[in-house]
Amino acid sequence: MQAMPILTLQAAGDLLKALEDFLEKSEANFCLIIDRGGNLISQQGQIPEGADASIVGALAAGSFAATRELALRIGEPEFSALFQQGANFSILINAVDEDVILVTAFTTQTTVGLVRFYSARAVKRIANLLADLRANPPEVEPLFTERDLASAGNRIFG
Amino acid sequence: MSIINYANKEIQFKIVFYGPALCGKTTNLAYIHTQVHDTHKGELVSLATAADRTLFFDFLPLNAVVIQGFKTKFQLYTVPGQVLYNATRQLVLRSVDGVVFVADSQWEKMEENIESFQNLQDNLARQGTTLDHVPYVLQYNKRDMPNVAPAHYLEFILNNRKTRVPSFEAVATSGQGVFNTLNTISRLLLRKFAREMEQQAANKGHRGTESASARTALSGIAAATIRR
Repeated sequence: MQAMPILTLQAAGDLLKALEDFLEKSEANFCLIIDRGGNLISQQGQIPEGADASIVGALAAGSFAATRELALRIGEPEFSALFQQGANFSILINAVDEDVILVTAFTTQTTVGLVRFYSARAVKRIANLLADLRANPPEVEPLFTERDLASAGNRIFG
Repeated sequence: MSIINYANKEIQFKIVFYGPALCGKTTNLAYIHTQVHDTHKGELVSLATAADRTLFFDFLPLNAVVIQGFKTKFQLYTVPGQVLYNATRQLVLRSVDGVVFVADSQWEKMEENIESFQNLQDNLARQGTTLDHVPYVLQYNKRDMPNVAPAHYLEFILNNRKTRVPSFEAVATSGQGVFNTLNTISRLLLRKFAREMEQQAANKGHRGTESASARTALSGIAAATIRR
């Protein structure tokens, strides 16, 4: 598994734009880019009130990982997408690359076909952005030093 | 594998609570969830069986201190301890930044503790890493039980690698030792992160510009604590 590159303002903006375009065309409600460990990388759209993106991400990553294990058991390297259909909300999960997945939630106001079609394009765009970022990692100064950490006190959690 | 996002000005870390079945991993997260202020925690999600045994994982997202303008976020996970769920443990360990190994202090659990600790090392190896590269701490839980092994014995059987790590006696049901454990692993992660970034910057000769402007704009923000 590759380390996730630092998301500079430019890179984060590019990912958000890709998600925004995807939502606009697919008419989906919200989408998340997460790594396969469940860490949230980027999000766009209206998450239902009371929902927590980090929890949705963690559960989606777990669900997709379990599905991948199922695929392996029947001789498939991976299912490239996972669709969960609900009465009101549905979720489509796409593999972006070896490390990252795209989670899209949508209602009956759109169709799974439309979301699938545009998600395939979005996946390519996101994969290219991440590949560029990995190929040309930004050079940054330390966000903080051990001295800064000392000034924050011994108790991280009170 | 920490995630650094300049747009949100946040850094995320993943901590996994590992250990044998019924050692108290979920109890640790449940106690933390009761003590952290609402504004600094998400929902505690448990994917458990009808008998309250962890089936997939427990998950608790926490916001912690702000350092140099960057929010630090910690995602706490537990793994299912039962032996047959090893594939699930491998999935949950993916992208892990730090580990809390929770041992059951009761004498009859020593073999399970050792097996689980070995299983942790095996599963990390499958990901191409080792405990030499993943910060971890040990928690000797259930110290309130009548038949516990002495702490020095647990040290002997578990904290015997070349570099010894911090260890804590705990009673997770009452909270004893829980936040000491959490604060220590979190601090180890932040220190490792700071060291690695300083090392990378030194290697590159401090040619970056983005962080410099971000730090100038955001310096001086006080650290925040989140516990009630």
